[in-house]
Amino acid sequence: MTSLKLTNLSKRFGGVVASEDVNIEVPTGKIIGLIGPNGAGKTTIVNMITGMLPVSGGTIHVGDTDITHAPAHEICRAGLARTFQNIRLLGEASVLDNVMIGFHRHETSSTLASLLGLPASARETKALKARTMELLAAFDLTEFSDYPAGGLSYGHQRKVEMARAVATNPNFVLLDEPIAGMNDVESDALADIFEGFAQDGKGVLLIEHNVRFVAKLCSYVYVLDGGKLISEGTPDHVLSDPAVISAYLGGQDA
Amino acid sequence: MLAQQLLNGLVVSGVYALFSLGFTLVFGIQRILNLAHGAVFMTGAMVAYYTVDGGGPLWLAFILAIIVSGCLSVLVEITCFRRLRKTGDEEFGGVVSSIGAGLVITTIAQQISSTQILRFPFETFPVVIFRFWDLRVSMLQLFMAGAALVMVLILGYLFYKTAFGRRVRAVTDNERAATLMGINPNRIYMQTYFLAGALAGAAGVLVGLAFNSISFVMGEPYMMFGFAIIILGGLGSIPGALLASVIFGMVQTLTIAYLPSGLTDTIIFAALFLILLVRPHGLLGQEDAGNLGGRR
Amino acid sequence: MSNFIAGYLPLFDLYCLHVGLALSQFIVLRAGVFSLATAAFAGIGAYTAGILAVDLGAHPVLGVLCGTLMGMLVAMVLSIPLARLRGVYQAIATVAFIQICLSLNIYSESITGGAMGLNNIPKTVGTGTLFVFAALATYMIWAIEKGRLGRAFNTIRQDEAVAASLGISIRKHQMLAFAISGALAGLFGSLEAYHSYAIDPRQFGFHLLITVLSYVIFGGRNSVIGPLAGAAFLIILPELARPLAENRMVIYGIMLILVINFMPKGVADTAIDAIKARRLTAKRGDSA
Repeated sequence: MTSLKLTNLSKRFGGVVASEDVNIEVPTGKIIGLIGPNGAGKTTIVNMITGMLPVSGGTIHVGDTDITHAPAHEICRAGLARTFQNIRLLGEASVLDNVMIGFHRHETSSTLASLLGLPASARETKALKARTMELLAAFDLTEFSDYPAGGLSYGHQRKVEMARAVATNPNFVLLDEPIAGMNDVESDALADIFEGFAQDGKGVLLIEHNVRFVAKLCSYVYVLDGGKLISEGTPDHVLSDPAVISAYLGGQDA
Repeated sequence: MLAQQLLNGLVVSGVYALFSLGFTLVFGIQRILNLAHGAVFMTGAMVAYYTVDGGGPLWLAFILAIIVSGCLSVLVEITCFRRLRKTGDEEFGGVVSSIGAGLVITTIAQQISSTQILRFPFETFPVVIFRFWDLRVSMLQLFMAGAALVMVLILGYLFYKTAFGRRVRAVTDNERAATLMGINPNRIYMQTYFLAGALAGAAGVLVGLAFNSISFVMGEPYMMFGFAIIILGGLGSIPGALLASVIFGMVQTLTIAYLPSGLTDTIIFAALFLILLVRPHGLLGQEDAGNLGGRR
Repeated sequence: MSNFIAGYLPLFDLYCLHVGLALSQFIVLRAGVFSLATAAFAGIGAYTAGILAVDLGAHPVLGVLCGTLMGMLVAMVLSIPLARLRGVYQAIATVAFIQICLSLNIYSESITGGAMGLNNIPKTVGTGTLFVFAALATYMIWAIEKGRLGRAFNTIRQDEAVAASLGISIRKHQMLAFAISGALAGLFGSLEAYHSYAIDPRQFGFHLLITVLSYVIFGGRNSVIGPLAGAAFLIILPELARPLAENRMVIYGIMLILVINFMPKGVADTAIDAIKARRLTAKRGDSA
């Protein structure tokens, strides 16, 4: 079975250790959680996986592909899509255009065709538009397709970002604090979407500090503190682990 | 003779320092590349010329030039950048806007001067040559070096020793936090632009006197040299701009003296290009050149 | 009537030439590169074509082809180091590049004619040719906008991190934008050389940079209509009245300040956005 796999992943900034020997495995068809208090090093892990930070030690694999040192744009091609902690859409572009760019890695018309405006290029644009509309329908966004994405509500913007990630047709999705700032109704709607991802056979790595949300969705949870994994297992197991409780509650005293 | 060339280079460096300090100051505080700075410099020289031409003494010309250039620089800030800072488009917009301002100022100067090269009347500045061993130093050179040194020292004092300097640094670090502490950023910006413009205007007068040639396009090469200097020193760094001015002044004087004429500019800008690639944050700058910091 | 047209023909020639250069500036800005090197590429194209014609007596078609390729080649090479820089640093580096070209040009007197320029270039390009090439260039930029490349350029310009996360190679696309920009500038530079008997180095300096940038800023940086409209307006406006013509550069300067401050998207793009917004409101009215 293929998986997204971090092996002994480490990051040092000068002499400061930001992550140390982190081992995480995300199989397809499962939602895996990564939790930890603020400053535990979650963002560092995200940045290393997505190619925004050079890796100091260890490896990252998507299936058989080693992406440890791959530049950011090749990681998507290996089949890993991501969403951003602060939603990042092209604010003035329409919802349709925002999702359409997600198909970039599957575009096949030649550069020459695109330069010369050959029929192949126009056909492709038309086909992509149709596929984008299907995707928007699946996310209940059809009515907004022509509106500038920046004008939508927070919850809808998050859905547009999800649709864009799905458009890349990934095997794995990395969700960086997707429900931060959402109300319960909005986050429940997102939870359904995430479960849909898993049912479609995608592996989901959910990075959150909302423990309740993670416990509800994930089959397996990793807990990060001070750059190291301090616990892993089923949500029940992890949440009753004294090390986790002290990290979350007694952080200052411990 | 090498020693003489080095001495000449040092005098030139002073002028470059005056020009580029204001240039880099504005970038440091607002992240704006003010391309109207060369036009402000030229305005200083023009004001001085017309004051002397109208019968005024040189000291008055110098003071008027400083005041007018300072005010013009403030005007550029208000008309070109203030609105852009609110919309957050100052990086691109600032370049465009200040190109526009430079164009307006130089074209007006062109019309006033009828596209002529203006020259101060003979002996506006007394021609006196001193000799130290083999070195020749003119009174004008001494005056230029002295004026540059005094103004750099005043700027340093203002910047590092006074409440004004602390406020400037507070606004540079975090405009919003500074506002909460009761600092009016717009006022700080206006003061900074006045300083920047005044220094450039002074440099304009000195250059006008030294070469005794003033024209509406005289700012353009200094803009270009200014680029090279503030990149070499690190965009926004005051000590960097000083150090880079000295290096630049020396290198330029030496290449003119010892290399085929005409190649000087090529060498200077090729060097600028290389510095940008090898060390985009300059000798003393801390900022990286806006790189993503990712594995690209 | 024919007199009237003949009077305005040089203006139309200028428009066609400058539309090509404006599109060259437009395409790099669209891909998120703050390059101002179009003037230098145009100079390279013009001199390549000019030297081929004057010194070697080459056929104009060959000259234009070589000018175009040379512009493209230099642009692609330049894009490699520029990929390491961002924002104003790119702007400064490209301005430095213009200066390098300018001073090398003046220095290499034996090849380029130095400051006196290159003279006695046979005039082989007329209004018809200029118009055809301007139309072709406009079509190409329009086609790019409608397809895969336009979408990728758009994304890179607005958010590089998003572009990379969707598998868009920033380096590759910006190099391509540079290549297109260099080819267009080289092409219209060489057309200029064959259209005007003589060229000189100062023609391809800071002044041209400002002119071309003004077109794009004034018209708009998002739709291909932008540079077309910008060039038309800024070329025709000074012709309307003599005082305007005398103060052409003051007008350009004031326009730059006003447009970037009060209509930062440019006149054409602002109008297009307004039309779109009205359509959306109308649509909402229908469905409600």
